[in-house]
Amino acid sequence: MDPLSHEVSHLVVSMNGRGERQVPMGAVQAITHDVVQLRSSASEILRMPPFAREEYVTLHEVEIPGLERHVHVTPGEVLVPYPELERNVKRRTFFANLTYVTGLFIGLPLVFPVLKFLMKPMYASLDNRWLKIGNIGKVKTDDVGVQFQYKRKVKEAYMPEAEIEKNTWIVKATSSVLEKVYQEKDMEFRDAAGRPIWTNKKDMPYLAFSGKCPHLGCAYKWRKHKVLGQVFLCPCHLSIYDASGKVLDGPAPRPLDLLPIQVSANGDVQIIDMEFKAGTKSQTRIV
Amino acid sequence: MNDTPASGTQPTVAEKVFAFVDERVGLKLLAAKMLNESVPGGSRWAYVFGSILLFIFIMQAVTGVLLMFYYVPTADHAYASTQYILHDVDYGWFLLSYHFWGSSAMVLCVFAHMSQVFLWGAYKKPRELIWLVGLALFALVMGFGFTGYLLPWDQRAYWATTVGVEIMDKMPVLGDFLARFLKGGATPGQMTLSRFFVIHVMVLPAALIALAGLHLFLFRCAGPAGPFRGTPSELKAKTDYFFPRQIWKDVVGMAVVFACISAMAFWEPVVLLDEATPDPGDYHPEPEWYFLFIFQHLRLKMFSGEFGQFLGSMGLPGLLGIMLVLLPFFDRDPERNIFKRPLALIGWVVLTASILLFTVSAIINRDFLD
Repeated sequence: MDPLSHEVSHLVVSMNGRGERQVPMGAVQAITHDVVQLRSSASEILRMPPFAREEYVTLHEVEIPGLERHVHVTPGEVLVPYPELERNVKRRTFFANLTYVTGLFIGLPLVFPVLKFLMKPMYASLDNRWLKIGNIGKVKTDDVGVQFQYKRKVKEAYMPEAEIEKNTWIVKATSSVLEKVYQEKDMEFRDAAGRPIWTNKKDMPYLAFSGKCPHLGCAYKWRKHKVLGQVFLCPCHLSIYDASGKVLDGPAPRPLDLLPIQVSANGDVQIIDMEFKAGTKSQTRIV
Repeated sequence: MNDTPASGTQPTVAEKVFAFVDERVGLKLLAAKMLNESVPGGSRWAYVFGSILLFIFIMQAVTGVLLMFYYVPTADHAYASTQYILHDVDYGWFLLSYHFWGSSAMVLCVFAHMSQVFLWGAYKKPRELIWLVGLALFALVMGFGFTGYLLPWDQRAYWATTVGVEIMDKMPVLGDFLARFLKGGATPGQMTLSRFFVIHVMVLPAALIALAGLHLFLFRCAGPAGPFRGTPSELKAKTDYFFPRQIWKDVVGMAVVFACISAMAFWEPVVLLDEATPDPGDYHPEPEWYFLFIFQHLRLKMFSGEFGQFLGSMGLPGLLGIMLVLLPFFDRDPERNIFKRPLALIGWVVLTASILLFTVSAIINRDFLD
């Protein structure tokens, strides 16, 4: 049989002790259930070349895709009886369905606990503590971004308390920049329940920007741009902001995020370390 | 498969063991059936990528298990244990670097394998299911790359994950949940590392083994597609079995890939940056090279703003994914010759060219940032 076309091309005929011959299907006249009748005579068949068995493998030793569906070469079917107890078809269906029901019975009650198990750390409450991040004396020039690096203590689940390094950008803003930022209004920060946490007064000249780019969350830098001059630039996707945090160029969907800031009489700068979801037009606080 | 001992000689121990197993499970028949599969039109070098992918996966599994002998997936020890593997454990630098470059080789070979199937029109009836499972495997491979990248817990790892998860966050409805689910919170930390670790070493391998098995099973059900040109009689004349010619080509391919990965591991061993923190210092975040084109195209002005960003990070890649899934069901023309399928050819060229273009421009862009 041809393994590609599934065409049966020859029959092997045993010549009663005088070897085997390969007879083309064209020479087959009829096949009944126990007799294969050939057109050719025995002497004609004997003149055919002997069958070279070593050039073949059996069906069991070869992979022929879809063979069972296309060709029926079984000489007859071998039937196996159902055991006496298994002959009630209705009961078999019942037990098959019972298997599914049992599966559901085991699986469904597990869905909720497993979800809760996996979701445990997902929604932590927000932290509104003030963090001291340095002294304002570091900021010398107006309308220039100055990076303040600070450490924040984190206690994650079972882990020992650790310090992570973060940064924020402080700008000592001139009145024109302040106006762009506040547009004559104080900026109020509220917690998730809507209670006020802090208000940045519109005439307080220091701005604190979250160090996280509102595009996709990278960390941006204050640097020189060939055309736009001194700007905040994010190296990831090249969003560019001016000293007021406004988007000048690039893919960012909203201005830089302002943080609550206090500057004490002796120059200590404190912020509430907030983070907002990146990539959205509106601010959604996540930290 | 002739292992009957010559008459008069005693069977060796190995032959006895083989005979023992064969008697119980029909090993000879099984092996014969695996090896005797017709390859229509004969073996080809173009068909080697599937086997090579299996080989790369096995090597990734082996090197991955070895790395786990020392690696600790905690925020306070992941970096140190990776440095320990790189600098203190004998040949640790090689095994880790092999694992690292193996992932690149995997992505390249997946691309080659998918391109071959696409260009040969081998996804068409009756092979739609093989294509679908293949797409799922492709997603798993990208998942391996993404989750594995975080494990060394250096700056590169941290920022690639930060940006990658933010991109996932842009998925409608489920995005926020999914991003928090993966991070185990609002920002990357210990929970993220634990999650990425278990996904990388348990969930994805289990899924990949299951789906790769299904992929092979479906492939055996449908049989190889063969070349897209040639009459049945021409194909028949050139047809041979999987063993030995195709296996020979596959083995040569595996050896070449092994040599390439080893060479990369040898000459470009992994070097970690500073330990992960949310303050990157002077480091400019960038994902692994095979994600660079997505990274770069998000820099385009047309993908700015909330909607633009959704379009760039979710919309277009999602659309491409859906198109690939639906491909065998829409493209029902039995014609497989790529030169008679202009739309498919143009589509492949445009996609490949734009991936190359964006990757190269991302690399060029690096210079402007320093």
